Amino acid sequence: MSSTVIYPARRVITMSTHQPFATHVAVRDGRVLGVGSLAELQGWGAYTLDRRFEDLVLLPGFVEGHSHAFEGGVWRFPYVGFFDRRSPDGTVSPGLKSIDAVVARLRAIEREMTTKDGPLLAWGFDPIYFGGRRMDRGDLDKVSVERPVLVIHSNFHVLNVNTPVLAKAGIDHTTNVHGIVKDAAGQPTGELQEIAAKYMAYRASGIDLAAALSDEQAVWRFARVAQLAGVTTATDLHNELPDSTVAGYLQASARDDFPIRLLPAFGAIALPVEDGVAKLRALVRQNNERLRFGLVKIITDGSIQGLSARMRWPGYYNGLPNGVWNTGPDDIDRLLQAYHDAGFQVHIHTNGDEASEVALDAAERVLARTPRRDHRHTLQHCQMADAAQFRRMAALGMCVNLFANHLFYWGDIHYAQTLGPERACRMDACATALRTGVPFAIHCDAPVTPIGPLFTAWCAVNRLTASGRTLGEAEKIGVPDALHAITLGAAYTLKLDHEVGSIEVGKRADFTVLHDDPLTVAPEALKDVRVWGTVLGGRVFEAPAG
Amino acid sequence: MARLPFTVIGGFLGAGKTTLLNRLLRGSAGRRFAVLVNDFGAVDIDSRLVTAHGGDTISLANGCICCSIGDSLVLALVRVLEKADRIDHVVVEASGVADPARIAELALIEPMLERDGVLVLADATSVQARAADRHVGDTVQRQLDGADLLILNKADLVDAAQLAQTTAWLQARQAGARVVPAVHAEVAIEALFGLASNGAPAAPTAAASAATPPVRRWSLSTRGLIDRAALLAALAALPASVLRAKGILRLADAPLQRSVLHMVGRRIDMRSDTPWGIAALRSDLVLLGTPDMPADAELDRLFATVPVTPVA
Repeated sequence: MSSTVIYPARRVITMSTHQPFATHVAVRDGRVLGVGSLAELQGWGAYTLDRRFEDLVLLPGFVEGHSHAFEGGVWRFPYVGFFDRRSPDGTVSPGLKSIDAVVARLRAIEREMTTKDGPLLAWGFDPIYFGGRRMDRGDLDKVSVERPVLVIHSNFHVLNVNTPVLAKAGIDHTTNVHGIVKDAAGQPTGELQEIAAKYMAYRASGIDLAAALSDEQAVWRFARVAQLAGVTTATDLHNELPDSTVAGYLQASARDDFPIRLLPAFGAIALPVEDGVAKLRALVRQNNERLRFGLVKIITDGSIQGLSARMRWPGYYNGLPNGVWNTGPDDIDRLLQAYHDAGFQVHIHTNGDEASEVALDAAERVLARTPRRDHRHTLQHCQMADAAQFRRMAALGMCVNLFANHLFYWGDIHYAQTLGPERACRMDACATALRTGVPFAIHCDAPVTPIGPLFTAWCAVNRLTASGRTLGEAEKIGVPDALHAITLGAAYTLKLDHEVGSIEVGKRADFTVLHDDPLTVAPEALKDVRVWGTVLGGRVFEAPAG
Repeated sequence: MARLPFTVIGGFLGAGKTTLLNRLLRGSAGRRFAVLVNDFGAVDIDSRLVTAHGGDTISLANGCICCSIGDSLVLALVRVLEKADRIDHVVVEASGVADPARIAELALIEPMLERDGVLVLADATSVQARAADRHVGDTVQRQLDGADLLILNKADLVDAAQLAQTTAWLQARQAGARVVPAVHAEVAIEALFGLASNGAPAAPTAAASAATPPVRRWSLSTRGLIDRAALLAALAALPASVLRAKGILRLADAPLQRSVLHMVGRRIDMRSDTPWGIAALRSDLVLLGTPDMPADAELDRLFATVPVTPVA
């Protein structure tokens, strides 16, 4: 007979409507045997009482519905962002508050490097917080004038390089290429954008970069960062899933101490649809408790801050031209139809409202051709949708996962430059999702922003930008709704709500363990609630003190 | 090592990009193309010609390789350049919504590549409607704007008046546009991608002649010093049927250096190269075009207007 453990807690917040709160939870075989009072649970027979959570608060394990295992890939390299960020080993990498601080940090790292001319790569840099000053090659030449130095911006679409990188590529004042930024004198500054940035990152750092970003160690680092933030289920929401990556995921998830349930989404554009469907069917057969293939991803447009999101009239507030399609409307129809017909759930990246419209049109046509109940196709990001688009989502049975972290990190830019005040104040419209009855989650899109569901919930509740502006009083949601969005709500958008997302008899014993009670702290303090650790399938993962 | 010519083939979904790529892989005329494609499944490769199939790369008996772009064009390109010693020319199929001119710019930041041409296919039956479409109109227009050479495909599916009207529409929206009508993307491969590196047309193989129409060729050779402005004017005045020009020239304003001329469609690139050294002091210019290219005598007359200063 399997053993039973009963955990008393300061409070168990279950997310279950018939019993929202309890004092004890019983675990057997990695599942929730029961939740209630000790007296109610004793009826299940012999048990061990484990008092380690007695002063702590238990919630269903957090579910991050839109993140990327690439977060674990980039942690192989130093972080040089503006905000503090917790690394996979639990230490906090402190935010760097000036360009000089970034340079000083890189110099220190450079001195420790063992190779003489190997590249130095760093990530997470964001120039919007330095009062208009941009980093240039002069800054990075102070790090080294011999080895290539590359600083990837937090959006992963812009790159700063030093002079050796430019020289090796033959980039000078005569190079007229879109995305190569030049100064007033016509000299390249070392800032590269979009395709030029991406190309140079791979070219200067070698062909092994892609592999290093998605190997088995990378997925372990991702799982650890997620676990430290209280996450027990996380997506890797766009992956071509080459054999090498799949092998790494299978190996990592086979271990009992792998701390999360990982849900990779297959990037539909990577293969012809027949091959993609066959590949995904084969992968699903390899699913285990901690690894679930079966999600599909379609990327329609770019990003709002990158000015590559597809916008409806009247377009960008600063008057710049409309963004670009990554997958055109005809292909969106074709891919959605194929994976819908094959029975898969499709997650559709739409940042701009034109992209959301095209995705909704596609879903409407697909569902008219081949109706399917409970498909739960989900719009991801969906930052600019208006109320009418939410009503269409509800009518079509779709879910939405809103990018609440954007409100804080880029809200000021959206207000002043990309969207303008009116649309910025209704972006990532959680309250509209609630009002229109669209099942919704909220997300971080790590590594674009750090993984941390309590911070994401704080964004949805307070809607504060980095400068302290409130973006849209009317779209705020309450703390209970925000907690639902990072647990059962997110689980629903992944078709896992029968298994995780609430603490109820029969479900997986996946818990987030908190020092503080998120329902009693001030809503403004939600992001400061401390994570003690997690429980995954009954196994306890204590996070090191942060 | 010589730089590899880099060609980008663009055009909206259904314009005929894959058809053109299939012609290229079949009729490569002795050159080893590396072709990066979006959809392996759509490329029609005779399995008897496949010598190796390694996941994302197919090697053909004629020396060409075909690589799947997957979800990252830049990564696919970086991987292809690892095999640079085994290829002569890199061709990228832009996705149906990509801007091919932007992709072509990669050659300007990659020392191993030399920007060749941006060839954009347009479907004669639908290009105007696509360019007016609410969601994709601006994407289609960007593609057309970036073209060095426009291939107006499916010309057989419209009548002569419609073809003329669409051609005029394309020419009106882009100054100096070169529009070549085609059926099933049938345009001589050598006229689109240039001659083999030795400068002479490869002996036509049975497969090549079956797959592509003949290429027309005209050349000029002179020991005199050529007037730069007049030459550029003559080139700009050529009809669309002249698809390419290549020249190593001795210009009157730069007689000590070789000047290299490279023209694809409307794009004319003239750069000064190394000094002449021991090479014969002689200008050579070659034009390649479709069967509709003007007769030799007419081209002779056109280039006779370019002043050439005799050297003693």
